[in-house]
Amino acid sequence: MEFDLSLEEAGFRDEVKAFLEAELTEEVRGGMFVDTPARVAFVDKLAAKGWLGMGFPEKYGGSKKPIALAQFILNVELELAHAPIVGKNVGVIANTIFHNGSEEMKDEFLPKVFKNECQWALSYTEPQAGTDLAALQCKCEDKGDHWLVNGTKRFITSAHFADYHWVAVRTDPDAQKHKGVSIIIMDADAEGLTYTPQWCVGSTGAERTNEVFYDNVKVPKNRLVGEINKGFIYLMQALDYERFAIISFAARVRRFNKVAEWVKEAEFGGKKLSDDPAIRSKFATLATRVEIGTMLEKMCICVAAERVPNTEAAMNKAWASTIGTEIANLALDAMGPYGYLWDGSEHAPLEGEMVDQYLMHGHSRVAAAGVDTSKTIIARRLLGLPDPLGKPFLPNQAK
Amino acid sequence: MDMKYTEEQKQLQDLARRYLEKECTIDFVRNLEKKDEEIGFSKEMWASFAEMGWLGLAIPEEHDGMGWGLVDQAILAMQMGRSICPSPYLSTAVIAAEAIVLGGTDDQKSELLEEIIGGEAVYAFCFQENTREFGPKTVALEAKADGDNYVINGSKMFVEFSKGADKLLVVTRTAGKVGEESGLTMFIMDSDTKGITHTHLPTMARDRQYEVKFENVTVPKSAVLGPVGDGWTILNKVVQKAAVIFSAYCAGTAEVMHEYALEFSKERVQFGRIIGQMQVIQQYLATCTIEIYGARTIVLYTAWHMDQGRDMLDYVAKTKAFTSHCVEHICDRGSQIFGGMGYIEETPTTLHLRRGKQYQLSMGGMAYWEDIVAEKMFGPVTA
Repeated sequence: MEFDLSLEEAGFRDEVKAFLEAELTEEVRGGMFVDTPARVAFVDKLAAKGWLGMGFPEKYGGSKKPIALAQFILNVELELAHAPIVGKNVGVIANTIFHNGSEEMKDEFLPKVFKNECQWALSYTEPQAGTDLAALQCKCEDKGDHWLVNGTKRFITSAHFADYHWVAVRTDPDAQKHKGVSIIIMDADAEGLTYTPQWCVGSTGAERTNEVFYDNVKVPKNRLVGEINKGFIYLMQALDYERFAIISFAARVRRFNKVAEWVKEAEFGGKKLSDDPAIRSKFATLATRVEIGTMLEKMCICVAAERVPNTEAAMNKAWASTIGTEIANLALDAMGPYGYLWDGSEHAPLEGEMVDQYLMHGHSRVAAAGVDTSKTIIARRLLGLPDPLGKPFLPNQAK
Repeated sequence: MDMKYTEEQKQLQDLARRYLEKECTIDFVRNLEKKDEEIGFSKEMWASFAEMGWLGLAIPEEHDGMGWGLVDQAILAMQMGRSICPSPYLSTAVIAAEAIVLGGTDDQKSELLEEIIGGEAVYAFCFQENTREFGPKTVALEAKADGDNYVINGSKMFVEFSKGADKLLVVTRTAGKVGEESGLTMFIMDSDTKGITHTHLPTMARDRQYEVKFENVTVPKSAVLGPVGDGWTILNKVVQKAAVIFSAYCAGTAEVMHEYALEFSKERVQFGRIIGQMQVIQQYLATCTIEIYGARTIVLYTAWHMDQGRDMLDYVAKTKAFTSHCVEHICDRGSQIFGGMGYIEETPTTLHLRRGKQYQLSMGGMAYWEDIVAEKMFGPVTA
């Protein structure tokens, strides 16, 4: 048992901290996406440090992972500083290509990802295929010298700045629903690809995701990732990874500390808010639950040294997303009516950030397999309980 | 970073699991519950604990203990919690042993620790006063110096095993007044010292708790353990360790309750299918699973850091508060999964149902520890 970072790991953490101190400007801070020129430039610097391709072979533009927990440490520090994160380009795209893609595909895309030369849109969800992702219908036909894609995708968050779409498509309409799915890579400027914004609930009106339409989009044959009809397996692998590695719990810790700091300083009617016994009790309960989030994340990291965490990742995901909303919810409770003041009011505590968190954190509870889906994963894979939608199980049939 | 047990830790866990599952069965626990006048634990089992080295597990080697750490005690306590094992392990091998190691004179150490390690002295911990609050500030039991003696007057509440114990570790006030952390002094005395009476308090867990009254109890100055008037400097560390071990015990109880409920959900058929196939049951069980993994991790994390000699008060408080919540929540939720059978005395899990809530309320409940968390975040209340 060993809970401390090694000397090397601690050294790397300090190096990241120093880097952020020097390079992270206000312009960059505040969002996880690489969607503005300033943020692109910032992530370019991470790439120049060799921090995007850590652990991948050098022949693909990777850099020797200096130490075991480097990726985790980097993500934690980025989240604590509210900087853009390494995120899905490496976590989903590079990992999946590296483990399943052709040599040609690795040569073409991995170096670009590690140099931050391309942004990616994960294009999975459809109007009729949300939680039930395997019900996706986006059609992909083999036309001899190319694939022909037709379909509609929804909640494609990065579509408006992406260079490539990473699209889950149906390549075998007759197979069982999760057995006829493949992944293809599509150029964002392909003919027939269009998108329209879906504006998210929130004060600024600037948070967006997108609906994407593929209308007879031609895709070269070599852009199908790995084997045909194995796409759902790749998706699931990537989701296990996404549930723990992409967004560190540190983001919630940072937000909780920010709210606690606000409570500590707040005074109403000459009384310190933090003297209120109800506030103290509720924040203590939540501080404890926040700590459990860091514990579950540590547990995942320990597991990750040996295998991809799956049920552990589901625990991490379910807890983290739940706690994220609890933080925003309690923040607004503590603020009373000031809690519902939006960005733009000089009276809005913390510039109204917690209102937006309250409204949008529900998104985290449904994204990347939501809280309830994650719990289903735990029930099915860890506890050995049968599919609620499958044929009836009798005693001794369950694992 | 890794959470893996060492070979020795695995062996400790396996031995404890095997021994307790064989000896500390539901029937065994029920039997101890029934005998109202008995001591509430098995002396035979206690002797086995001593033989297996459990009573001296964390006592330094220089005092003939095994010199292991808090994390090892936590691993053992989780197994005890799984078997809801009624034993004075916490008050003896954790609280008394640690208090003596930290506060004892050389003579006290050499005499008293050996007795503990050998299973010859069982201790009860007389700390909690007749109040719903917990902690050093609540201590009112008065000890007055009188020549070469101290005379003790007052009472303690919720003292587990006090009647069956050989000795009492008694926390008194020799200076200052209620509401102050300083002024405390610890004593060690025989549980049948003249002037001490034990009145049984019936509890929902049917364990052996007592109100202990001290009427002109006269003990020599040599009965003092640790500094006079400054007992909290030692007791503070002892209580923190005890809280972590109690948390480990709670995590074990929660874990086994969850296993009972899971097993039942795979056997009970309604609507032509096992109830474990229903989404709501799956969600209940999965939620509890997450809490158990979180509880186990924070117990090990906190204990491991304390073994490195670090100040972990904030984490101790969170560990105690969270496992307290967990054991209550999971024992309640698990009972719900059993449906009507969850509330029939003969069902094994009613033992856990009766313990979950009691454990949550014990040793400062959640309130004392959450106050500590709040103080760390916001500082003390100013108004």
